[in-house]
Amino acid sequence: MTAPIDVLIVGGGPAGLAAAIRLKQQLAASSGDASVVVLDKAPRPGYHNLSGASFEPACLDELVPGWRDDRRFMEHVSPVERDDMYFLLGRRAFRIPDRVVPGGMHHGGDVTISLSRLTGFLAARAEAAGVELYNGYSARTLLVEDDRVVGVGLGEMGLSTHGDKSNHRPVEEIRARVTILADGTRGVLSEQLRDRFGAGANPQVYSLGIKAVVAFPGENPFGTNRVMHTLGYPNPASVFGGGFLYSMGEKLVAVGLIMGLDWKYGDLNPQREFERYRSHPFIAGLLKGSVTIATGARTIPEGGYHALGKIVVPGALVVGDGAGFVNMEKIKGIHYGILSGMAAAETVAEGLSAADGDGVLLTGYAKRLEERGVLPAMRHARNYRQSFRWGLYAGAPLSLVQSKIPRRLGMEPDFKGTKRGARLNREDPGGMDGATFVSLTGSLHREDEPAHMTILDPAACVTCEADYANSCTAFCPGQVYRWDGSKIVLSASNCLHCMTCAVKCPLENIRWLPPEGGEGPRFKQM
Amino acid sequence: MDCIVLVKQVPDVSNIPEDAWDREKGTLRRAMLDNILNPLDLHALTFADRLRRAGETGRVVFLTMGPPQAREVLVDCLSRVSGEAILLTDKDFAGADTGATAYSLACAIRRIEHEMFDDSRDYMIVSGMQSVDGDTAQVPPQIAEDLGIDHIAYAKGLQTEPDIVIRRIASEGVEDVRPLRLPVLVTVTACTDQLYRSFAQTRTARTAPIHEWSAASVGADPTRTGLRGSWTQVYRLFSPSEDRPKTCEFIRNPSELIGKVAARYQSAAPGAGPEADETYELDGREPSYRGEFWVFAEREGEGVRSVSLELLGKARRLADNLGEQVGAVLPCDAAGDRPAQLIAAGADVVYVLQHPMLGEFDPLAHKKAIATLVAEKKPQVMLFGASPLGRELAPRVAYACRSGLTADCTRLEIGDFSKGTTNLTAILKQTRPALGGNVMATIMTKDSPTQMATVRPGVFKVPPPDPDRAGEVIHIPVDLDEGDRGLEAVPVESFATKVSIRDAEIVVAGGHGFRSRADFDTYLGPLAAGLGGLLGASTKVAASRMAVEDGFTTHDYQVGQTGQTVQPRLYVAIGISGAVQHITGMQGSEIVVAINKDPKARIFNYADFGIIGDIETVVPDLIRATEGRA
Repeated sequence: MTAPIDVLIVGGGPAGLAAAIRLKQQLAASSGDASVVVLDKAPRPGYHNLSGASFEPACLDELVPGWRDDRRFMEHVSPVERDDMYFLLGRRAFRIPDRVVPGGMHHGGDVTISLSRLTGFLAARAEAAGVELYNGYSARTLLVEDDRVVGVGLGEMGLSTHGDKSNHRPVEEIRARVTILADGTRGVLSEQLRDRFGAGANPQVYSLGIKAVVAFPGENPFGTNRVMHTLGYPNPASVFGGGFLYSMGEKLVAVGLIMGLDWKYGDLNPQREFERYRSHPFIAGLLKGSVTIATGARTIPEGGYHALGKIVVPGALVVGDGAGFVNMEKIKGIHYGILSGMAAAETVAEGLSAADGDGVLLTGYAKRLEERGVLPAMRHARNYRQSFRWGLYAGAPLSLVQSKIPRRLGMEPDFKGTKRGARLNREDPGGMDGATFVSLTGSLHREDEPAHMTILDPAACVTCEADYANSCTAFCPGQVYRWDGSKIVLSASNCLHCMTCAVKCPLENIRWLPPEGGEGPRFKQM
Repeated sequence: MDCIVLVKQVPDVSNIPEDAWDREKGTLRRAMLDNILNPLDLHALTFADRLRRAGETGRVVFLTMGPPQAREVLVDCLSRVSGEAILLTDKDFAGADTGATAYSLACAIRRIEHEMFDDSRDYMIVSGMQSVDGDTAQVPPQIAEDLGIDHIAYAKGLQTEPDIVIRRIASEGVEDVRPLRLPVLVTVTACTDQLYRSFAQTRTARTAPIHEWSAASVGADPTRTGLRGSWTQVYRLFSPSEDRPKTCEFIRNPSELIGKVAARYQSAAPGAGPEADETYELDGREPSYRGEFWVFAEREGEGVRSVSLELLGKARRLADNLGEQVGAVLPCDAAGDRPAQLIAAGADVVYVLQHPMLGEFDPLAHKKAIATLVAEKKPQVMLFGASPLGRELAPRVAYACRSGLTADCTRLEIGDFSKGTTNLTAILKQTRPALGGNVMATIMTKDSPTQMATVRPGVFKVPPPDPDRAGEVIHIPVDLDEGDRGLEAVPVESFATKVSIRDAEIVVAGGHGFRSRADFDTYLGPLAAGLGGLLGASTKVAASRMAVEDGFTTHDYQVGQTGQTVQPRLYVAIGISGAVQHITGMQGSEIVVAINKDPKARIFNYADFGIIGDIETVVPDLIRATEGRA
């Protein structure tokens, strides 16, 4: 038995680490102490964190004063000096004049970063502050006793497709006085918390981002200190999203394509669409001479204000993407993750200092989120993503006035978006094949481990073939799902942990749980 | 029983980021790889844990040598098995080769024995068979040599009651080995499932004390540690692709393909042929080494293992450059016809070390006989086949002779070296794959009386026997007694024909392109058998990950990043697309043949020969072609 844990944070991304760092700061300021434990399923800090990313760094000034003096980290931080938006059509590109681009979508003052690296940086700062950080541990269940969250259960390890192995390790429970869930987009535990304590008025909806980091051995035609966003091609007008190119220092560029997961086509393959995007003459010209060095994919929770469920319950708070703190009007979430982590930390610190016995009262989280601007921004963008449910041409103008819409625009969950018989029937664009894409994510799982995704009713997949073209075989960027003519065959070890399958199977027939800790993708600079 | 577990922090060669490659130099930026606990050491941990549970005292001490950040792997160990940990760290250790590493660790083991075990000799030392970065398997036997103790290699299991018995893989099966005295060093091959870290134990391990020991604190002689104490030195690193450029030759006719493959196979490895190595001219300069070129003659049945004959052919060509003699060293209980066979293969002298105790392979006894002879006759080169026995024996002989040893060479040549004040003439340049086959390293011996290397079987060609060659047979008296025997072995299972896919000379692998398990079985086995018969080689059937997922075979046969890495002389990929995952596991193969119906399949980028077509039509033709030629 180890020492009791005061605060357990599940998820070592920017939100969880911000909470941990802030908590240690607050405790030190009040000359108190408490054990702060962060768990993360990634093998190392940042390996499961992916974003563009264009980042508003002001929140770091407060969290990590003097962060700009860290020269090794700053090598990977580039201030944005040039910011363009383009509309792509067929083989052409049109620059959208700045005055037409909504204010929230300007990126002046931002920096481009790799979220994996930012997370690695925060992890080092957290450990220096006395936070206990444990990478490689997968939490699978939320422990609730008497309507109070008391900790989490880790998944068992050492199972094989043939049963227990000699090294089988049963479920391990970790209990704490307070649990902060920072488990990211479509987090398994924050989902359990919402199931238990209450979800939002709107269902949470997601986009899928596909990304590559490319290196230029020679000249870099895209240039440095630049961000570019594109609308249009290759996304059909009914599919929300767009593309981006962000420079990362002199020799690297991040390129990505974001697609709203409410798409209707059973055969839409986002990884193929990403290659189609890269093959557009305008984009291809900007990437000419580059070599792809890393790839990845991750979903983004976009439901906004009305999709937020319970974010504070007895014994637990939810922060970051796990809560759904993403502002689609600005296409940003990282700094909301950090700010919400800080707000949670302050709430917990106050609760700990006032606590009498085991129970810790968590009050004032929502108020702090208001003060830090997280909830006001979410509220302003409350109908933004929903404006696009009727497609780009209706959504673009509607989104400009969405904050004036007096009522809540509804939204269907993504899985209902897939329509029976709807097909895109596009030609293969060529480019990087799926297997190479997967290998460049570095994803790894033990081969004889039982698949961590489950097809709940295999018989349903048979009718799905005709109805939805077994859409999992197309939508999964990890190529986990294959149709062999009679059933779905799983390549579980390809999984990128992006969470698409958990929300996009049209029959809600896939259950995803985290595999053994330390597995999954290894994003070093995503 | 008390136990010392040797562990190592290594770069994770299973996950090499694209930008870790220095494309200009063709090498890897090692700093960009993650550091992990050497995967085979996880098996050693499991082994040690069982040992610990067997006795009442059961103290486990983890020992590693490395820079300060190597403490991470000790924490990892303590998270899985409770015990104590020692980090041997000192800037004087930097740049150590296997010999200098073994010396330093042996010094630390003596200190552990004295301080922590109260001078009790009742303990075992356990380590992984080899590390994934160096892959030499040399350090453990050299530690054993330094400590003067026995070594049990290829351990896969353990029985503790009533006596300690180690089950290990032997060349012809499985045997149970009983150590006759303690301590003994056991190197563990993949034997069992790794122990997981529990959260609770990890949390405890984080706060456990880790002792840091310096070179001086273990009484290490500074002339024997680090770069200074090393007997080998890396001379050049380069890309494997530089060694073997691949351009796929597409052939339509299966019979023609089989003919070309057979011709390439029988002409031996590129760079190893007569054209590549026999051009050295001394031009009257003084060579840095003088003396004979020796080859260890490993027995097989009544004859000699073919790798020994391959090496004699190679040694002959190297020695002729310098006008030196070739010697074969034959330990045995009865020589039989072997001396004549060795002379016919190129030996000028056969040194017969005959003694009843040399009938079976006991590493200590063999080492003593050979090392005594080497010390007396001072050859300039000594080569061993990198067979399981050779890999166990050579490190001990080299260490006992205070000579450098390079493991698993794929190329040997005579050349010069000049850098700073060092000028070496006519030395043996030893080239081997490193970092999981991702880079090639050329290594030279330094500060050693004899240049020693082990060489992979099949790299060189067995020379045609010349029965008219003359040679001398010298019987050397051998002084051994029962005290020189360290182990007692009892065979428990024999599998004369069972070959792991890693050991096969020919691997025939199938992928997702097969339609059914029946097809997989119908085509692969017969083609493998046909090729094996035609080329006189051991064969094994293997699979890609997709084929394993399709249920065509089991994970034991999977080639790739998450399966096994194979480096056969001939690799035939059928219906395999060539995902990077798979390529990683087979790119070290010498000759690659790809059969795929998709002309754009990536596998063709890594192949020497290709056929585009359906499995159902091409493979039966290929099988017929092998039968027609055999």
